[in-house]
Amino acid sequence: MAQAQVPVTVLTGYLGAGKTTLLNRILSEQHGKTYAVIVNEFGELGIDNDLVVNADEEVFEMNNGCICCTVRGDLIRIIEGLMKRKQKFDGILVETTGLADPGPVAQTFFTDDEVRARTRLDAIVTVVDAKHFLGQLEQGDEAEEQVAFADVILLNKTDLVSEPELKTVEDKIRAINPLARLHRTQKSQIELDAILDKGAFDLRRILEFEPDFLSHGHDHDHEEEVTSLSFTADRPVVPERFQKWMGALLQLRGPDIFRSKGILAIDGAPRRYVYQGVHMMMDSDWGAPWKDGEARTSKLVFIGRNLDGENLKRGFEDCLK
Amino acid sequence: MKLDLANPAWRQALPPSRSVNSEAPVAACAFNRDGTLAAYALGDGAVRLLPAEVDAAAPDAQPPVHSGAVLCLIGDPAGDGFISGGDDGRLLRVNTDGTAAELLNQKGRWIEHLAQHRASSAIAASAAKNAYVVKAGEVRELGPHQSTVADLDFSKDGSRIACAHYGGVTVWSLGQDTLPPRRFAWAGSHVALRWSTDGKFIATATQENDIHVWRIAQATDMRMQGYPAKVKSLSWTADARFLYTSAQPVFTAWPFAGKGPEGKPPLQFGDEGAGLISVVAAHPTAEYVAGGYDSGELQLGDIKTRRSVVLKMADGSAITCLTWSPDGQKLAAGNDRGDMLVIDLRR
Repeated sequence: MAQAQVPVTVLTGYLGAGKTTLLNRILSEQHGKTYAVIVNEFGELGIDNDLVVNADEEVFEMNNGCICCTVRGDLIRIIEGLMKRKQKFDGILVETTGLADPGPVAQTFFTDDEVRARTRLDAIVTVVDAKHFLGQLEQGDEAEEQVAFADVILLNKTDLVSEPELKTVEDKIRAINPLARLHRTQKSQIELDAILDKGAFDLRRILEFEPDFLSHGHDHDHEEEVTSLSFTADRPVVPERFQKWMGALLQLRGPDIFRSKGILAIDGAPRRYVYQGVHMMMDSDWGAPWKDGEARTSKLVFIGRNLDGENLKRGFEDCLK
Repeated sequence: MKLDLANPAWRQALPPSRSVNSEAPVAACAFNRDGTLAAYALGDGAVRLLPAEVDAAAPDAQPPVHSGAVLCLIGDPAGDGFISGGDDGRLLRVNTDGTAAELLNQKGRWIEHLAQHRASSAIAASAAKNAYVVKAGEVRELGPHQSTVADLDFSKDGSRIACAHYGGVTVWSLGQDTLPPRRFAWAGSHVALRWSTDGKFIATATQENDIHVWRIAQATDMRMQGYPAKVKSLSWTADARFLYTSAQPVFTAWPFAGKGPEGKPPLQFGDEGAGLISVVAAHPTAEYVAGGYDSGELQLGDIKTRRSVVLKMADGSAITCLTWSPDGQKLAAGNDRGDMLVIDLRR
């Protein structure tokens, strides 16, 4: 049966950030829509509802020798199972545990043909606890990685901190991930339009991103930290060189590169070439045509750990005509 | 029984059939033990029972017996009805009058796969990381496995059961429960499993579009690659000489007679169908095979003459299930738009 792909929203956030509150609101509010919710087995969702499915975050490594090619096999199974129901869904929400790496969830939607045929990854939404975020950064990589992967960030519990504290947290979030849309919230209260159906992984909508954070640069004193780097170029990109460079880069540095996006002006091509990736997995396509007289500027963004700005800059410049 | 696929009658007209639409996707279908009824597992919680004779009138739909989707269904080896499992976590015995009795309740989990051993009237069901064997009213829990059980099957003599999961297969001994389970390891996610009809091999399909087969006695294994899509359906011939696999446009059979398939290409035969085979089912006793395509086409093949004939034309709705009647004279099939079919092959 031909049917539209169901959008899937991934909901991450450190323990206690407010994910469960948000899910409870989505499930109990009168919005006239039907959402299936896939929760982790240790979750505490108070709602007993046949739209809620328990999952167990079963991650497996693809048998291809790549250590970052990890996939949530349970999601593949559950999505196939949900598609057997007569009832159709307006969306699917996947909640991860507070300590989960969002990589495997996202990569699942790049990997399985049937999941791709029936659903589309819409966005990764991360709930951040404004009061405890800075402390959580000290406790491990999880809180930082969840922000790095995000397309939408809810900076939650803003009522528990002062405005200067909030500003510090916001600056920290922006240093990790300047691309995500950030909303300040209390008790996870937000219009559903702000988090659902965002099309963050839609190659046709990737044009909307504007890397206006070039000034952040790279700080070698903190190279263990997660940062984002962006590059622009006015000279056209030579496709063979770019493919070779990007292929080698992701092969070598895939585990450290969480998200990447790009809009490229390919030498001699009338249309934009757009791509985006999660670790080593990538999607690409031709985008909208360049208009007459429009500046053909290529843009490239990486969010990851231990990014070597000089090296990436040189690598990209070698791809230009 | 004999099906002469060279008979021009196959190409002049499609065989007699009946199709009833349920408006809910069909996840599984089965015939009952004596072959008088066909049943269909539906996405609205109903197990729909229809007479196996194609010219018999279809009775009205019965109310749903599960509260979510029915995910799996087999004929009851111990009675005239069926056994069904659903995403409501219930395993049910569905009687011929449509009433149901609960055998197991695993609320919050899905009952996703079923297996049976006819001679000993045993059935097995998977629910999350566990398998449950139900025999003579007793339930035995096997597990937990390292990940959710993705498929399961009994050995030929019913003394063991194999469960597929991440990292390989676990084989449990059912007769002596003091015997530790045996592991057959291969990295990755195994998504389908069939024990060979002679008991010597266990075949799995993996997430990475290939097939893995273990020779049980020698504990050696082999891997078959080159599929363009995930193989979701495996079927051994009655004589265990061939393993049929889905995910190809023609019937594809790996030869297991003699030295086995190592170094040999699979036998491929029949007319290329529309799309890829989504479900394949070897005949229960003879050399025939049925294949359902993701385009909705159905074909019948004969491995001896390497011929195939079309049983149903493509219609854009993927065949999701396909099974032979116990006497091998009829086929039941279902698709993702809710069509419930029976095809009579006697001509």
